[in-house]
Amino acid sequence: MKRIALALLAAASAGAQPVYDLLLKNGQVLDPGAGRRGRMDIAISGKTIARIAPDLPPAAARKVVDLTGYYVTPGLIDIHTHIDAQGAGLNLNPDHQNLRNCVCTAVDAGSSGWKNFEAFKTKVIDHAQVRVLALLNIVGAGMYGAAVENDVNEMDVEAAVKMVKKYPDLIVGIKTAHFQPPTWDAVDRATQAAERSNTVLMVDFHPKPGRGYAELLQRMRPGDIHTHFYGRLTPQLDEHQRVQSYLWEARRKGVLFDVGHGSGSFWFRIAAPAIQQGFLPDTISTDLHKGSIMLPRATMPMTMSKFLNLGLTLEQVIERSTLNPARALRLKGVGTLREGGEADIAVLKLETGRFAFLDSGFGKHYGDQLLRCALTVRAGKVVWDADGLFAEDWQYAGPYSNYK
Amino acid sequence: MFSLMRIVFLAGGFAAVLAAQPYDLLIKGGRVLDPANHVDRIADVAIAQKKIARVADQIPAADAKKVLDARGLLVTPGLIDLHAHVFGYEGSIFPDDSALPACTTTIVDAGGAGWRTFDEFKVKVIDRSRTRIYAFLNIVGHGMVGPKFENDTSDMDAAKTAEKIQQHRGLIVGIKTAHFGRSGWTAIDRSVAAGKMAGVPVMVDDKITTGSGRASAEKLIEHMRPGDIHTHVFNDRQLEVIDRYTGKVQPWIWEARKKGVLFDLGHGAGSFLWPVASKAVQDGFFPDTISTDLHESSIMIQQADMTNCISKMMHLGMKLEDAIARSTIAPARAIRRQDEIGTLGVGRAADVAVLQLQNGVFAFKDAWGKKAVAQRRLDCALTVRDGAVVHDALGLAYPEWQKAGNYEVLP
Repeated sequence: MKRIALALLAAASAGAQPVYDLLLKNGQVLDPGAGRRGRMDIAISGKTIARIAPDLPPAAARKVVDLTGYYVTPGLIDIHTHIDAQGAGLNLNPDHQNLRNCVCTAVDAGSSGWKNFEAFKTKVIDHAQVRVLALLNIVGAGMYGAAVENDVNEMDVEAAVKMVKKYPDLIVGIKTAHFQPPTWDAVDRATQAAERSNTVLMVDFHPKPGRGYAELLQRMRPGDIHTHFYGRLTPQLDEHQRVQSYLWEARRKGVLFDVGHGSGSFWFRIAAPAIQQGFLPDTISTDLHKGSIMLPRATMPMTMSKFLNLGLTLEQVIERSTLNPARALRLKGVGTLREGGEADIAVLKLETGRFAFLDSGFGKHYGDQLLRCALTVRAGKVVWDADGLFAEDWQYAGPYSNYK
Repeated sequence: MFSLMRIVFLAGGFAAVLAAQPYDLLIKGGRVLDPANHVDRIADVAIAQKKIARVADQIPAADAKKVLDARGLLVTPGLIDLHAHVFGYEGSIFPDDSALPACTTTIVDAGGAGWRTFDEFKVKVIDRSRTRIYAFLNIVGHGMVGPKFENDTSDMDAAKTAEKIQQHRGLIVGIKTAHFGRSGWTAIDRSVAAGKMAGVPVMVDDKITTGSGRASAEKLIEHMRPGDIHTHVFNDRQLEVIDRYTGKVQPWIWEARKKGVLFDLGHGAGSFLWPVASKAVQDGFFPDTISTDLHESSIMIQQADMTNCISKMMHLGMKLEDAIARSTIAPARAIRRQDEIGTLGVGRAADVAVLQLQNGVFAFKDAWGKKAVAQRRLDCALTVRDGAVVHDALGLAYPEWQKAGNYEVLP
């Protein structure tokens, strides 16, 4: 009540002093985490969301952006990315490959292990505009090729746990990936590290004889995440194209299934029947790297669009790209729009027409809906503005020049 | 048994088809725009063994392993970005994921590396990129690594720079001078001296500051040579293109152009201003080459990739044909690579851009983040680099998954 009175007061005296830095007006807010759906205004002061209400006065803000016709959601969370400062190896630039795609929180999925996490922190995390978090690779040297990734001696549980505990705000879980030997060492050690650091485990799994997918799911604990769910390596469907019963069982137990699209982990012929039978992903993520950004164009909006065109509702897609990833990785303060919370906001345009989407094998799916990132607000700042919603028309901007 | 027969049958059919398919890729029915060869008509472009094999009105679809329907689209030489940053400079970005989706198949790194660091650039970036990369070698031996180095005239060694160019004739196409913050002509003159020794052009990025002892007219007419390139043409702190009192293009800009100095866009995060550019084009002055100065910051709010820069030039009144020429054959000529890139001539490397001219309402932002609202935009639909499809926004190159069987990765 007091807050409403204050807002009214602000409105009344708005002519005198703007109280907000930025007012996002008239957007269709879609925030499953807060149960918000509908036309609403969002006011931002500094780095934080000051108010979310149906009709905030434009005069109360220094800058007003009209978002009529756009969806406004919490900044997207991509829990499976690979990022680097200058893009050495397969990794991508953190800022422009995320912020341009409305991703405000990017989780690097095991590019570094305990030996090189601190270098990753100094070189990338500390400089990135996008919020960067990490799943620590159980391999000490990180994702640096088969020689280290298949070496069990590289998997030091003690050292990994120590590193997680040193950076609890940045390292949100443990990752195991690419392990080829036919033993359970990688999964076991990663599980131990997750257990002992009280964090989440994300598994990229290559089944081998004697080390099958069904057994992996039995071993996984509630809350553990299997990424690359719609890939070709793991048998999701039986010979009648029915979702395997062990998948339903694992889901009941609480194992989470993540998309992790990438260049090798999303096939329409697996995703379409699974979704038809109601087996939706828990979280939508990209596994974006140099190999997946080009041809399958596995960015967040594109990956989300694929699921939209495979039958998920917009709300389901947004939920799986904001609230669910935040919950899966137990992230605080992201994934939902909250007064007093950091202003990470995605402004999405839902286009209709005829669009083509490619899977990891370049099979094409025609769809009639496309989600496009129109504007990104990260920590209160507009960092991407594809439709010029924030930008001022130069002809009304008065004279300006680099020659001061 | 049935399946075995089917395999034999398929294999036989496949072999027969192979024999009848001289082309790997056929881009059919697009408007082919190849300014260097004066081609502007609906035609088919066939590619074989990574080279342009044929451009003709009708090439049978059966002659190619893969056929792309480019009706309604533009087919041009792969775009050449004469000014981008993919090494050395702290804001440099990795080329492929920034260039190829914008139909840019060739990037010229504008001075990231100097003679001391070029070898590292080659190993770390050039050799690992799918994008074709050339370099303007910085006259500063350490390259574009901050004022401490860039202002150090003792690290501007013309002979060493020329020597490095001689060693890498295939990759180094010129010399760059940039960000020189001290007074006098040392940086530009050393660059030109090195350019003379190596027989290559110089690209100049040069701010006119109070006390710099440099002026635009003198720079263009007396210090730069025909064929040298001034980038950042619409940055009024670099070149006083517009007379502030009359609003007209300065006479010595025309004189420099007549002499053969080239003017490059070099958009960047600071060098394209609507008020400057619109006055220049009102007076009929357009840049010779369209380039991005793409780096970590200009790729964000300004979205200064090639198709965006071309769209901006078209919004200012440049004709489409002209804009394509200035982003293909003109930059190729500027770096004297017109016999290798920038055209769809038969026998050339198959670097091809398939572009879509869209109608709608689009906002294009300048270096100051101020927008102009336009009705047309050129967008990159598909990119062929060295004969391979590397970007395909419309799914032109691939079949529908429902009809493709149990594929792993489709060819």
